[in-house]
Amino acid sequence: MVEVAVEVRNVSKVYGGRTARVVQALSDVSLTLERATTFGIVGESGCGKSTLARLLVGLEAPTSGELFVEGTSIDATKRSGTESLARKIQLVFQDPFSSLDPRMTVEKTLREVLRVHSLHPDNVQGRIAELLAMVGLSGRFANRYPHELSGGQAQRVAVARALAVEPQILVLDEPTSALDVSVRAEIINLLVRIQQELGLSYVFISHDLSMVRHVSDVIAVMYLGRVVELGRYDAVFDETLHPYTKALGDAVVVPDPVRERAKNLSLSDAVSISVAPVVQGCPYAPRCGFAQEQCRDVAPQLEQKRDAHFASCFFPLSST
Amino acid sequence: MSLLSIQDLHIGIARKHDNDEIVRGVSIEVEPGEKLGIVGESGSGKTLTMLAVLRLLASPPLSVLSGRVIFADEDLLEVNEKRLRQVRGGEIAMVYQDPMSSLNPLLRVGSQLEETLKSHGARGPEVAGRVHDVLLQVGLTEPERVTSSYPHQLSGGMVQRVMIAMALLTSPKVLIADEPTTALDVTIQRQILELVTSLQAATDMAVLWVTHDLGVVASLVDSVVVMYAGRVVEKASTTALFVRPTHPYTKALLASLPTLESGHRSPLHQIGGTPPDPARLGAGCPFRARCPYAFDKCALEEPPLLERGEGSFAACWKEPEQW
Repeated sequence: MVEVAVEVRNVSKVYGGRTARVVQALSDVSLTLERATTFGIVGESGCGKSTLARLLVGLEAPTSGELFVEGTSIDATKRSGTESLARKIQLVFQDPFSSLDPRMTVEKTLREVLRVHSLHPDNVQGRIAELLAMVGLSGRFANRYPHELSGGQAQRVAVARALAVEPQILVLDEPTSALDVSVRAEIINLLVRIQQELGLSYVFISHDLSMVRHVSDVIAVMYLGRVVELGRYDAVFDETLHPYTKALGDAVVVPDPVRERAKNLSLSDAVSISVAPVVQGCPYAPRCGFAQEQCRDVAPQLEQKRDAHFASCFFPLSST
Repeated sequence: MSLLSIQDLHIGIARKHDNDEIVRGVSIEVEPGEKLGIVGESGSGKTLTMLAVLRLLASPPLSVLSGRVIFADEDLLEVNEKRLRQVRGGEIAMVYQDPMSSLNPLLRVGSQLEETLKSHGARGPEVAGRVHDVLLQVGLTEPERVTSSYPHQLSGGMVQRVMIAMALLTSPKVLIADEPTTALDVTIQRQILELVTSLQAATDMAVLWVTHDLGVVASLVDSVVVMYAGRVVEKASTTALFVRPTHPYTKALLASLPTLESGHRSPLHQIGGTPPDPARLGAGCPFRARCPYAFDKCALEEPPLLERGEGSFAACWKEPEQW
């Protein structure tokens, strides 16, 4: 039997209402994260990926649907105290300098987590040393303040803080985007190593498609609050089904002048598209080069098109 | 002769008693119609160098210690304020990373665009006409809707197009763009890159594109300057840079990126260490602590830019074939 770390079941999230403008941030999203694997989520700003991260760690509640972490619904877990949810699932943010308290040393940051959760009361020092070692920082960093750290070092501290409560799941929201190019690789290598050592499950959110592909087992592509394609990391990009995934993949600049200059794209019309919610039909239809009459009338559902490869499209690109 | 020539530029930051040098002798030549990429990490001095060209350094604490910026036979570091205002946003225009903070949130977009033209001497009905034309040129198909909007009413991609339109209003000879697509989604970034490519081809304007993204370099520019710790460490054509990097830093940067060929979840190449603080350098090559090819000489003497064949120059004592 497949062991499930996280299950998202028919979750929708609506912001606003009454007087404010209504924003449907998530529409009927269902996902399953298998234990000790990485679930990658890609999409543009406004696709709902960060909303999903906030729901997963219980920072916000869904408008409808349910989320399960390690078999228990988040709702039920939170009723027995937010600490018990925090012990299972932790969020690592994009920018360590705004997620670490500038007035706390590294040691104090970690000590606080251990104190709040009453962990290792007899061996706080030892545990702090262990956490720092786990993220590849020597003990001399314990007395430093965030401003005395480089971006890569600060993100290591943020990871150590998340690991302090011994969670089973980490939600990584753009964990390398704020870092210099030369230190991104070491943070990715660190996250991969820690996952293997501790058997953690990851939700990896990023707009860097090559990085998501590198670390993920399964990838979901999101568009305007919906999952439009879902499948194995290689299938999603090599045997792309949804036209949006194709457009996203083509738009990414690759560090290869020959490949770049061979591209002949015309995305230029996409800017005139209004962001007004699509009331009828496929939400991607207004930007889609393959849209037919049917797409404007009925919204396609996420369906299995091939083995373990899902897409919400009436006319998938590489169908068998 | 070059269109724009930055010559041996040194920039310092004021400390208690003296200046710490953070840009240490940068020279960059730009030809008419050239698309040049300036690559570097935060702290490498790439943005400071570009700001110094238009004398926009926040002074104090920053100041130009020495060097020249030659444009149209004049040293921009010496010209009077009146001439400087003509050049700034006139002959040399700049687009910044965060478009939302570059526009005044309290004024409609149209009046901000018109103000740019008026400050460069345009008057009368031609002003609105020119704004209308340039907005169409940058792919904003409803210019009236854009000009009557406040910045917050437009999307990030539209605002960055407005900023590019603002830069193009005066038909500049040089466009300096400081990471203008970093804050944007990949699809919008692609549109902006295509837009700049087509506009540049039509006008023969020179483009200086500051970025940390080697993908953007591969996509957009003809030649590249790589900066590290306040100096230029490599100059090359885009093709040569990717095929045969001649500085170990460039090579390491390229190797650290995951590609279709690198194994799934296999360790990525790490550079190790952290970029040094340019103000706290000792003797020798500033990259040597992170460099796998460093030898005795690297600790003693900082290498100058040396010719490495195929039009490439690198500040490294070893030729790539000796690595």
